[in-house]
Amino acid sequence: MPSHIPAKIQNLHILPLSLPTVPSCPYAATHYLYLRPDAPPPDAEPTPDTARSLFLANLPIDADESTLRRLFKSLAAVTIERVEFPLAEGEVEEEDTGVVVVQGTEVPLSGRGRKRKRGQSGQVKGDGASLPRLWEGEQIRGSGGQAVVVCVDRDSADAVIKAVKRLIKQGGKAEWKGRDDLGETRYRSHHRLTYPPRALLQSRVNNYLAHFATLEAARAKMLAKQRQVPDEDGFITVTRGGRSGPARLEEAQAAQERLKEREKKRAGGDFYRFQTREGRKRKEMELKENFERDAKRVREMREKRGKLRPE
Amino acid sequence: MAPPAIKRRKLSHTPSDGDTSDGSEQSGFPSEEEHDSADDLEGVSDDSGMEDASSNDEDEEMEEDIESEPVSPIAKEKLAVKPAAKVPEKQKATAEKPKPRHTQPSDALTGTGYTGEVFRSNMFKLQVDELLEQVRPKHGKKEAAVERVLRALKTIIEQIPARDPTSVVEAEKALLKKDRIAVPFPNPRPAEDAKYKLAYSKPAQVSVAGSYPLKTTTGSSSDLVLDIIVTMPQDIFQEKDYMNFRYFYKRAFYLACLAAGIKANKQHAFDLKFDYLHGNRLLPILVVTPDEKDAGFKVVILPAVLKNVFPVEKLLPTVNCVRPKVLGEEKDEPLRPTPFYNASIRVDSLALAYLKLQHDAAKQCEAYKDACVLGRIWLRQRGFSGRMRNGGFGNFEWGVLIALLLQGGGPKGMPAFSPGYSSYQLFKATLQYLATKDFVKNPQVVGGSLALPQEKGPVFFDVTRSSNVLFKMSPWSYKLLQYEARTAVAMLSDSVFDHFDATFIMRVDQPLYRYDTIVEIPVLSLVPVAEREMLEERLSSRCQELYTTLTRGLGDRVKLIQLHMPEEENWALGTRAHAISNDSKVMIGFVVDAASYNRTVDHGPAAENKKEAASFRKFWGEKAELRRFKDGSILESLVWSTKEGSSIFRQIISYLVERHFGKDAAADMSYTGDQETKLVPSAGQPAGIAPFHPIMMAFQALEKDLRALEELPLQIRHILPASPELSYSSVEIPFIPGRTRMTIPADVILQFESSARWPDDLAAIQGTKIAFLLNLATELEAHAAGMTARVGLENETASLQNQSFLDVIYPTGAAFRLRLLHDREPTLLTRRLKDKTLSQSVKTAAAAALAAFKRTFVHLPAHTQAIQTLATRFPALSTAMRLFKRWIAAHRLAPHIAPQAAELLAARAFAAPYPWPVPSTGTTGFLRTLAFVARWDWRVEPWIVDLSVGGGPGVEGGFDAQAVQAARLRFEAWRKVDPGMNRVVWFLGSSVDGEGVAWTEGRVPKVVAGRVRALAKAAVGVINDRERDVGTLFGGSVTEYDFVIRLADVGDKGKRKEKEKFKNLAQQAGEEDVGYDPLGAFADEIQRLFGHAAVFFWDADRRDCIAGLWNPLQEERAWKLKLDYSTVPVEKGEGVVARINREGILNEIARLGGGLVKKVDVKGK
Repeated sequence: MPSHIPAKIQNLHILPLSLPTVPSCPYAATHYLYLRPDAPPPDAEPTPDTARSLFLANLPIDADESTLRRLFKSLAAVTIERVEFPLAEGEVEEEDTGVVVVQGTEVPLSGRGRKRKRGQSGQVKGDGASLPRLWEGEQIRGSGGQAVVVCVDRDSADAVIKAVKRLIKQGGKAEWKGRDDLGETRYRSHHRLTYPPRALLQSRVNNYLAHFATLEAARAKMLAKQRQVPDEDGFITVTRGGRSGPARLEEAQAAQERLKEREKKRAGGDFYRFQTREGRKRKEMELKENFERDAKRVREMREKRGKLRPE
Repeated sequence: MAPPAIKRRKLSHTPSDGDTSDGSEQSGFPSEEEHDSADDLEGVSDDSGMEDASSNDEDEEMEEDIESEPVSPIAKEKLAVKPAAKVPEKQKATAEKPKPRHTQPSDALTGTGYTGEVFRSNMFKLQVDELLEQVRPKHGKKEAAVERVLRALKTIIEQIPARDPTSVVEAEKALLKKDRIAVPFPNPRPAEDAKYKLAYSKPAQVSVAGSYPLKTTTGSSSDLVLDIIVTMPQDIFQEKDYMNFRYFYKRAFYLACLAAGIKANKQHAFDLKFDYLHGNRLLPILVVTPDEKDAGFKVVILPAVLKNVFPVEKLLPTVNCVRPKVLGEEKDEPLRPTPFYNASIRVDSLALAYLKLQHDAAKQCEAYKDACVLGRIWLRQRGFSGRMRNGGFGNFEWGVLIALLLQGGGPKGMPAFSPGYSSYQLFKATLQYLATKDFVKNPQVVGGSLALPQEKGPVFFDVTRSSNVLFKMSPWSYKLLQYEARTAVAMLSDSVFDHFDATFIMRVDQPLYRYDTIVEIPVLSLVPVAEREMLEERLSSRCQELYTTLTRGLGDRVKLIQLHMPEEENWALGTRAHAISNDSKVMIGFVVDAASYNRTVDHGPAAENKKEAASFRKFWGEKAELRRFKDGSILESLVWSTKEGSSIFRQIISYLVERHFGKDAAADMSYTGDQETKLVPSAGQPAGIAPFHPIMMAFQALEKDLRALEELPLQIRHILPASPELSYSSVEIPFIPGRTRMTIPADVILQFESSARWPDDLAAIQGTKIAFLLNLATELEAHAAGMTARVGLENETASLQNQSFLDVIYPTGAAFRLRLLHDREPTLLTRRLKDKTLSQSVKTAAAAALAAFKRTFVHLPAHTQAIQTLATRFPALSTAMRLFKRWIAAHRLAPHIAPQAAELLAARAFAAPYPWPVPSTGTTGFLRTLAFVARWDWRVEPWIVDLSVGGGPGVEGGFDAQAVQAARLRFEAWRKVDPGMNRVVWFLGSSVDGEGVAWTEGRVPKVVAGRVRALAKAAVGVINDRERDVGTLFGGSVTEYDFVIRLADVGDKGKRKEKEKFKNLAQQAGEEDVGYDPLGAFADEIQRLFGHAAVFFWDADRRDCIAGLWNPLQEERAWKLKLDYSTVPVEKGEGVVARINREGILNEIARLGGGLVKKVDVKGK
């Protein structure tokens, strides 16, 4: 029912994509891609890339940089600089701010990196210290996903929009060429990649740990410095890692609990008559409360289950 | 803890003091305490003097009482005749004691009266109150009709004309010809040449008895039955009529005359049928159904005899009243007593006496009536009734038992129960009395002293009325009663849960739940052709033989053998009695002993013991052989083969039936049992935990190898199993040495001793873990030759979660997956959660990582350990869990239900098995699990299981009422937070996880939970329809799904098929492939990608297809940008709606699967 499908919704162009057929599911299927020039979120400033970016929604699951590149090439012979995907659940976005948190302390690093798409093994990474990938190619994303495509320049972004408008007007469909590395081979390669060669893993881990050690050393040095140098107001910052490191928060809490417990024991029991009396009263109250609660529960049960009847 | 409390109560008798101090402490009360308190009370009442009125006063009261009853016109005049003076003075003393604290209803207001031992708990008491309120018949509507019918019948009966004494033959002929009534003579029929005459004259009295005038009837049970007692006049009997069935012939004739009289009446068109009183073939009765439409009640006419007609001492159970036909030949041998015959005559004269007894009890003890009603419900749910085929223990016996125990039965003839007991106390005390006493071995005598010999059946002899209350019970039905009573006492003593539903609401008598094995033998093949004339009489004696044979032959293999006689029917007046139809069957149910029922060798008596050895040989025939055992003893013994294709248990039964009841009986026998062997793989091992022995050994080897490593930087602290394979609960047997390799490694958690050298940073901890595992891998390979150890990575996209594991593959084929536990991780994650400076996405990731950590490293090992312990404690649990998981998988629900959740569901039938005892076979456990799941309303109830039952080693702490309460509160909190049940649908708490959502949070969608319950209900329905083949429950079709993704034979599945053909091929599968499961990965992936759009169902064992249902919510909704599935924008009216792009999604699935997908079928296409 193409006539019922609007050309545009809000400010999004609706681009129909014809999906490739496969022998196991030989029906023609159409996918609908939503597309508009990118705009910054309402409360954010536009970045220099915004003008030459396109926002895409309702992506096919196998959309990745290469498939989108192919699509755009076929649409308007436009090349893409890069594609940005939102983070999946459980992924952590890290911005390399030049500060690395090591053992809870911020350690400034020399040199700035740019925003990374994926935090592979935490914050600290030296060269060749990240863990090997487990999947070949891009990750498969959830159905109906979104992405921002950054074109090489503003003109090519406009060209894409124009081509899409024309296509929609003609009632045509763009062809979606999916990824060709799906199927069992993908799982097979994943299984292979799950077990990286021991030597490779060893070297990566060694690199990582060495890097971590230098960071830690830097941290220690920084802290030591902080301990010695008074700040502008003449105060010396209290920091971790003195001769006898400060107690851990959890331990302090546990100690407090223990103390409370001891307090209770000392004055508790039924030493005085008033204590016994109060204890009895409390018990009575408790019984009464329990009774009322149970009565309420039985009432609720009756309401929910109906009358009590032997089966 | 009990005795001090009792002492205190005895000293201070004021109600206010004792209640608060000891009331809450004791919830269950053991038997000693009860007897103690009864004794104490006795003492008190002696001191305080007697308050009861003289016997005369009581009679008057009685009369008044009766007058106020609805059926007074008949009952009144007759009861008044009966003096109650027979009750001995001594017993009177116990009546009407001052006992303020138990009976004060005002205590209810403060809540104190309900706690402690008086009632189990508030909940229990409140529910009992409600139940009593519900079942109490609504007097009023029926009353008028009842009274009208009773009056009419009485008038009719009193006007029946007398018949002159005539000979047997003529009397019978006259009735048959004129009135078309066949006299229901008992077998053997009277001799044609008998000298005595049969006559009819006006009854001495007509009265109403039974539970209706006692007001202990329940509205819920089937139709109301009223008893009219027609006392036959003395003049038609002679003194010696109690001999040789003469009384029964005259009684049958009298009954036939009554029937003729009522039939001849023109005013009313009553429907008349003959029946046997409780199935007792000596005592026919007349069942009258009123002509009024929907009267809803029946009247039973029971002929009775005045109690002084026959001498009491001649009808004691020790006397013979049926002389053999040919006298003289057997004079040397003493005549065998005929207790059943004698009791049948006695019972005819006692109906009114017992009515009086129960009336007295109701007056003496306030709670008596309620206790009777509770007992009535309890018995009914267990299939007991006064009819002999249903055990011969019904409401009447229950009521009389309590009444008698209120008067005597305790030590030194004192009352066993105090009239101050609450209804619940009476109920429980009666059960306890039944559970602890053995009336067969030690015949009980109440109200006097009398030496009675042991009989086959139970004896509870009421001396005052000279009758054995339990004379109708067979040895097996008595055993069943004891068994049920023991179970009930155990469940009422449970201090953690109160089993109200199990006690009163659930039906327990469905054979497939109650018995492990069921055998049915046709009636005709049990009784030899020559004896078919007296089929019914012969059948009962054959059943006796059958019971004795099976009991002896099966010995300790069984806990219970139960014979169920075929159904009986009443019959029309004009035909001869035929209560049993010829094609009916005798059903024998067995409850087996889990540990020994499939034992291969039975030890008999020693060879030197000539007499016993001979009897053993005679019993077993050629099967008995003399063997010399390792300890040097030479014993008669039996050796059963495990290779015969049928279980040992079945072989024994077949052998016994064939040897003692002939080839026909054995051939016609049908056997239901051992079904688990067909449903879950057992690798040729007996069911139970034996098939898991190899993997357990392999795990021990792994443990040994790990502990033997010396070069490790840190010592190993714990090696914890963390997968179903290691807790005897995986459907497939993980590993059979020499035959199969493990394709999926079993999870193990490894913890090193704590060290300060671990980095205090989450990412660095993951790096250190990898370094550790690499080190471990090198060490292990160096230590054990042939072993493969490789480090793998996981959770690529979630860097906060565990990143690495170590697969250890033994050359034998065993494979394990080790993960390192570092206990600092959760602290760091929690710190992240609390850190206000971090962004929301980081916090979400931390929360997810924390949940994953808890699941993998805390709950999973604890759960595995608990299930492992439980499975070794209850041998049938393993099979029950596997069957239940198989059932879930067969209905393609396994992807939504964590194995651990299924284990918790199945464990309930063992940890809290009530109303049944712990099941002895996997099938029984599985079926009961279904019954529990079908009853579980997960919307309003949490599922809480105490896995620590009995507290085995390794299981921390027990479960107490407080923990249960806490879990309940948590459940209620979840329902408040998430009333739509989007995150938590099932709440599965256990003693190792009070939080209850570790396995279900975000996993079990409502549709799945609803489906599980619906399927379980359907299964229960099938079983209730007497389906015996459990295999039918495992069938599932795919026609009801929206689409079906047919899978190709690849990877593991293909191999599995080969495996079935060539067992040795599997051995060659490469180690490379351990852990490779493309279909599983594909199924997981589409669940992750399209879980919002559709619900997927697939059977991870069969791996034939993935079926799916579209989510109806996503069908069409207002368009918005961010939806989690592929959409089609469609113009509709003014706006645009988003429809789900079904073709697109299916296309994506097909492309994702590639060669794994054979075909995608869509419903309707």
